[in-house]
Amino acid sequence: MASATLQQLDRVFGALADPTRRAILARLASGEATVNELVAPFELSQPTISKHLKVLERAGLVSRGREAQFRPVRLQAAALAGAAQWLGGYRRFWEESLDQLDEYVKDMKRKERRRERK
Amino acid sequence: MRGSESTQEPVADREVVITRVFDAPARLLFEAYSKPEHIMKWFGPKGWPVTLCEMDFRKGGRFRFAMTGPDGMQGTPFGGEYLEIVPNRRIVYDNGFEKPGAERMIVTVTYEATAAGKTTLTIHTLFASVAMKNEHLGGGYERGTGSGLDQLADLVAEMRRQESP
Repeated sequence: MASATLQQLDRVFGALADPTRRAILARLASGEATVNELVAPFELSQPTISKHLKVLERAGLVSRGREAQFRPVRLQAAALAGAAQWLGGYRRFWEESLDQLDEYVKDMKRKERRRERK
Repeated sequence: MRGSESTQEPVADREVVITRVFDAPARLLFEAYSKPEHIMKWFGPKGWPVTLCEMDFRKGGRFRFAMTGPDGMQGTPFGGEYLEIVPNRRIVYDNGFEKPGAERMIVTVTYEATAAGKTTLTIHTLFASVAMKNEHLGGGYERGTGSGLDQLADLVAEMRRQESP
């Protein structure tokens, strides 16, 4: 995977490593919301919610609307899909297989060199 | 291949591409793919060695593998046919589990020599349907490592439901 993608993945999993942020995402899965609407169910201050939203935004998990006054927050499915793919069995199957193939071809190379020297 | 229902879904929604650069020449990577004695040393995730490995490595030839998990039980065999073999360049095969009604995938492995003896290996998988792709990519959910990941899985499932027309 390209390093930019990996960095993005780090941000996504970092953002998901917090129960409040996961709850915000779960709330947004059922539709966009303003910051005020997000503050209400969490019993947290608006600055705290805003801080969490910034982390989610940097991870590409949410976007903010342009309307200056309300700026509704929306879930961005693409970033989550990347994380879901990484977790997915097929990709992991190959990543682990290719780790082992890497070791194995190194071994093949060594054996070949030994044969050449004889 | 199954009926026309699967071919209506766009290719882009049914494919997965995995790439890795190896510090080895293409011919060694090709070799590692071409014989059971090699396959049994690397194919499969860690802890899941290939314990059944039959292969007739030529165009039109068939292969049949099965892996044994940490519980010591051999899993359902899978396999298919080699559709194309270009030495040191490309292998195309179809693959599927030996289960009634199991869908199949077409896997294209390419070996591309880059600078200084390195090789870019690309595994392109075309699943028969989007559902099959999701099933394979989502296989990691069941062994999610904690409630955070479980929640993520729920969330993605919810989003998929909303996105599908």
